[in-house]
Amino acid sequence: MSIDLIVEGTDITLAYRRTRHRVSSLKQTAIDTINRRIAYENFYALNSVSFTVARGETLAVIGRNGAGKSTLLKVLARVLPPTTGRVIVRGSVAPMIELGAGFNPELTGAENIMLYGTLLGRDSKVMQSRIEAIADWAQLTEHLDIPIRAYSSGMVARLAFATATDVTPDLLLIDEVLSVGDEDFQARSKARTAEMIKSGCAVVLVTHDLATVESMATRALYLDHGTMRAIGTPEEVIDTYHADLR
Amino acid sequence: MQLYDSAIKQTPVLAPLKGVWEKRSLLRLLVARDLTVRYKRSVIGIWWSLLNPLFTTAVMFYVFNTVFKARLPNGQAFLPYLLSGVLCMTLFNQGLTMAADSIATGAGVLTKVYVRPEIFAFSATISSAINFLFGLIPLTVVLLIFGKHPGWKTPLLLVFMTCMTLFTTGLGLLLAIAYVNFDDSRSLINIFLLALQYMTPVFYPISALGPHTQKVIHLNPLTSYLQVFRDVYGGNAVSTVHEWLMMGFTSVSVFVLGFYIFGRAWPKVVAKL
Repeated sequence: MSIDLIVEGTDITLAYRRTRHRVSSLKQTAIDTINRRIAYENFYALNSVSFTVARGETLAVIGRNGAGKSTLLKVLARVLPPTTGRVIVRGSVAPMIELGAGFNPELTGAENIMLYGTLLGRDSKVMQSRIEAIADWAQLTEHLDIPIRAYSSGMVARLAFATATDVTPDLLLIDEVLSVGDEDFQARSKARTAEMIKSGCAVVLVTHDLATVESMATRALYLDHGTMRAIGTPEEVIDTYHADLR
Repeated sequence: MQLYDSAIKQTPVLAPLKGVWEKRSLLRLLVARDLTVRYKRSVIGIWWSLLNPLFTTAVMFYVFNTVFKARLPNGQAFLPYLLSGVLCMTLFNQGLTMAADSIATGAGVLTKVYVRPEIFAFSATISSAINFLFGLIPLTVVLLIFGKHPGWKTPLLLVFMTCMTLFTTGLGLLLAIAYVNFDDSRSLINIFLLALQYMTPVFYPISALGPHTQKVIHLNPLTSYLQVFRDVYGGNAVSTVHEWLMMGFTSVSVFVLGFYIFGRAWPKVVAKL
């Protein structure tokens, strides 16, 4: 049974020791040290968060700004290691967190597909053979050989989305990326995401759009100041969230 | 199947090294990106990157050869000696600062996608090593003008470049931690780099110094790198066994130390990016 659990998070805690005045210069640190004025405080970006996501499930993470939603995605993307607690992720991960991170404006479309795909952990030989198909989906075949600084922002978004979703991963992490580009692209990207979910990958979705949560998610997790306020069916969790907002 | 378990402790130094090796195709693409951005899109790209070391050499040559009338012992030609010194220091400075910057400039990727950050430092130092190879073109011309040639030791250049790459990668990773934590560390480090440059015999012969100063200069690891480079390419200096050992030892130890400390500091560094 546990084979079907793509994500297992147990008491995930992410704590920073941060200085009260946010000093970030050597000079200030030296002065404060001499005056014994450095006061540290522990800041919990995530505090004992536990959940699982099984194959075929879509977990929506909701909460106010700064509640730790994006931090949680970064922990699952293996970017931030938890301070205590444990995360297990079985299989490949496609982080759709700010698409196109790693694109270089001076490189051509084709070169950027190669670089971005390889950054996402794909085999560079496989990527080479996928360039055409990716460009085709993004409708950018004629523009592949020009530097992407000449692209419009919509073109860049299409290229990034097409590259990121070229393979179906075991775990898809989505951070509010479904709302870029024109209407046609939005419709196509939504359809493609739905297809990926249907094909059986697990999804963790961060969004402020509660309508999306109700239509897409099978479960929801409500974060408040880094702690779990509620987890359960989308309806229940949204009700708790609404009650808190009032 | 890939498995990520945060509870599995990673072996320091070895785990990051293995990670870099497994992603060597990414490393190749990153180096290609650096070089493409610098050279391919502009005709004068290569010459542009040589402009800095060549101009520095011209200024120093005028100041020390013409104004101060400095002469090397035994009538050794000054220009090849100076140019090889400037090229070696450019390789060090450029590799180090680019490696240290690579973590902050790669922040956009490093905070969103799981990649070993050490790959970015490596791509910076490898690109500067390739830049350095272009710099050998004018040096070769100067050598030929002065009736010299690179010499049979040229293959040993590979040893020098490998050591320099390891040295600057390790040191660059250590600097990257400082860069991310303190905004003003950059200017302090620049002063330190300038002092280090003067403590390296770029434009003066070691024999011109007093015995006490000579000892200090020999403690500077860069002196060993420079003397080795001068020896293996053009025979502009005679390197000693001590200098080869110093180069080998500092490159490996600084590299291991850099990987070790950076690996431990990374969870805190990435949170600040």
